[in-house]
Amino acid sequence: MRILILGLDGAGKTTILYRLQVGEVVTTIPTIGFNVETVTYKNLKFQVWDLGGQTSIRPYWRCYYSNTDAVIYVVDSSDRDRMGISKSELVAMLEEEELKKAILVVFANKQDMEQAMTPTEVANALGLPALKDRKWQIFKTSATKGTGLDEAMEWLVEALKSRQ
Amino acid sequence: MYTLLSGLYKYMFQKEEYCILILGLDNAGKTTFLEQTKTKFSKNYKGMSLSKITTTVGLNIGTIDVGKARLMFWDLGGQEELQSLWDKYYAESHGVIYVIDSTDEERLTESKDAFEKMISSEALSGVPLLVLANKQDVENCLSVPDIKTAFSDCAPKIGKRDCLVQPCTALTGDGVNEGIEWMVKCVIRNIHRPPRQKDIT
Repeated sequence: MRILILGLDGAGKTTILYRLQVGEVVTTIPTIGFNVETVTYKNLKFQVWDLGGQTSIRPYWRCYYSNTDAVIYVVDSSDRDRMGISKSELVAMLEEEELKKAILVVFANKQDMEQAMTPTEVANALGLPALKDRKWQIFKTSATKGTGLDEAMEWLVEALKSRQ
Repeated sequence: MYTLLSGLYKYMFQKEEYCILILGLDNAGKTTFLEQTKTKFSKNYKGMSLSKITTTVGLNIGTIDVGKARLMFWDLGGQEELQSLWDKYYAESHGVIYVIDSTDEERLTESKDAFEKMISSEALSGVPLLVLANKQDVENCLSVPDIKTAFSDCAPKIGKRDCLVQPCTALTGDGVNEGIEWMVKCVIRNIHRPPRQKDIT
């Protein structure tokens, strides 16, 4: 199984990857390029790709789209100003033929921040209700606190197992 | 000649697709109903184990073929906050399946209010409504007449729409076939919302 972790820079992708893999918060620096790790969860082995989120390297995301089973799209829920950019990146990504069958999981991350938007607000801001032929689900997470990740991964495992 | 050929093409390679919304309060059994429907109506579908189904905070989809019709399901989250997303789907829906937890008498009014708000939307006018009285396997649950009574003041808003209250147990599959077959019949005869033509791929 191949999973991509995508999202704008500073959303928390790398922190999530290592939370999933080693269960700890690691100190991260902005990813230029990618991190790839094998994560085992509930007997399911995933290859998880965490791609750098900065503007200049987002065009390279598409090089990694083929054979992707699921996309974890990470959003900084407290970054209201860049929600629009996050939306347009997501929309552009989902138009790609190679990701047509991929399951979408959105992590409304940084829920520990006071000014964080609720999952419903994030869903609306990202235009998720416009997606009509793809299974998607949104979770509130805090990668640094470790909340919400288990629930999200459990859901993802079941969703991947039962694909039509 | 063109009409004949294009008709033949349509017959061979296209399906008439209808979009069906599955709504209702959280924990009513919407996703279980969808999974059960997929299992019953599509060959080779090995569904997810029903006990593993968790709260939906997003969208589940499913497609089944019944005769010449193809039904595309949208199963949305039912939590109060998520109900604000429901109306984004109304304009494109051909039918609505509204699921009620018949064992939850306490939240029946809440369910009725959500139902009433939904059917009040212009965007759903003329769309057939299938109301599922789910979890009928549980003893002492609300019966169909009980639910009809509780929902009786919705009648004027339902108006001329096709509407059926069907007892069902999504977990075991009881009542699922009857409900789906009724829905198929209704969406096909509803000339006000013609289907989408979809190429079979």
